[in-house]
Amino acid sequence: MTTIYGAICLAEIVVMVPLLIRLALGPTVSDRIVALNTISTQAALAVLFFAAFAQRPIYLDPALWLCSFSYLGTIVWARFLERGLL
Amino acid sequence: MFWAIDYLCLAGVIVSAIAAIRIRNLNGAVMALSAMGTILSLLFIVLGAPDDAHSEVVVGAIALPTLYLIAIGKVRAHVTDDSDDLGEVGEGR
Amino acid sequence: MKSAVVIVLAVVGVGFSFSGAVGILRMPDLYTRIQCSSKTITMGAIPVLVALVVAEGPVSSYGSRTLVVAVLLLSVNPLASHALARAAYKRGVPMWPGSVVDQGAERRQQSED
Repeated sequence: MTTIYGAICLAEIVVMVPLLIRLALGPTVSDRIVALNTISTQAALAVLFFAAFAQRPIYLDPALWLCSFSYLGTIVWARFLERGLL
Repeated sequence: MFWAIDYLCLAGVIVSAIAAIRIRNLNGAVMALSAMGTILSLLFIVLGAPDDAHSEVVVGAIALPTLYLIAIGKVRAHVTDDSDDLGEVGEGR
Repeated sequence: MKSAVVIVLAVVGVGFSFSGAVGILRMPDLYTRIQCSSKTITMGAIPVLVALVVAEGPVSSYGSRTLVVAVLLLSVNPLASHALARAAYKRGVPMWPGSVVDQGAERRQQSED
């Protein structure tokens, strides 16, 4: 079963590759924001499955941090975009 | 399988760090910096240091880019480089 | 039996995640990219998390944190996407030239008349 977990973790990291290309190319900042949101989600999933792969429950907590606070940059940028100034 | 995850995380960190110093747009560079913090925390987890991963997630991936965004928004500087979409910081999309 | 269920759920989730990522790379403008990002959350992340809950059981240390992560993803991420799309639309970020309908523009014109 740990082999399956490792394969899922590897696949979630491979999914990050097109997102990194969009993050590097992205014509506007909002495109980079969208790619960054999805990168955060994929990183949280990869952390969860790496914890299950390594059989260490202590590795699980950064995933909680990552998916509960990764929206702050998006909210700040949305406010900045809507009002023109913070 | 462990070495594949390790090398992929390392490649992601290098790519996003190069993007963070190559993007000429300030807010876009902040986004690349945040992505670098996220993938670096994943690399810390893979290398077996969950405490460093905690601090890297909280500081490098969340707090520091948010503070940079607020600071760049407060400073109404005029950047005379139009290689990216932001001629002026105040009117980015 | 349990591992078969886990493999099926994981293949569905990773396939949707990868298609969403390719959509973010290939779509022409911002709004369609936001739509691909939302699909990555809903159909890509949730089956994978359900696979981990099925494999480890909901009352283990993995299952409890996985359920918390699923609830947080389902509540927080549409909020961020909606805020970004609303700000971009109010600011007037251009749509793809081939897009067909813009209902907000019609409504804005009606309120101006």
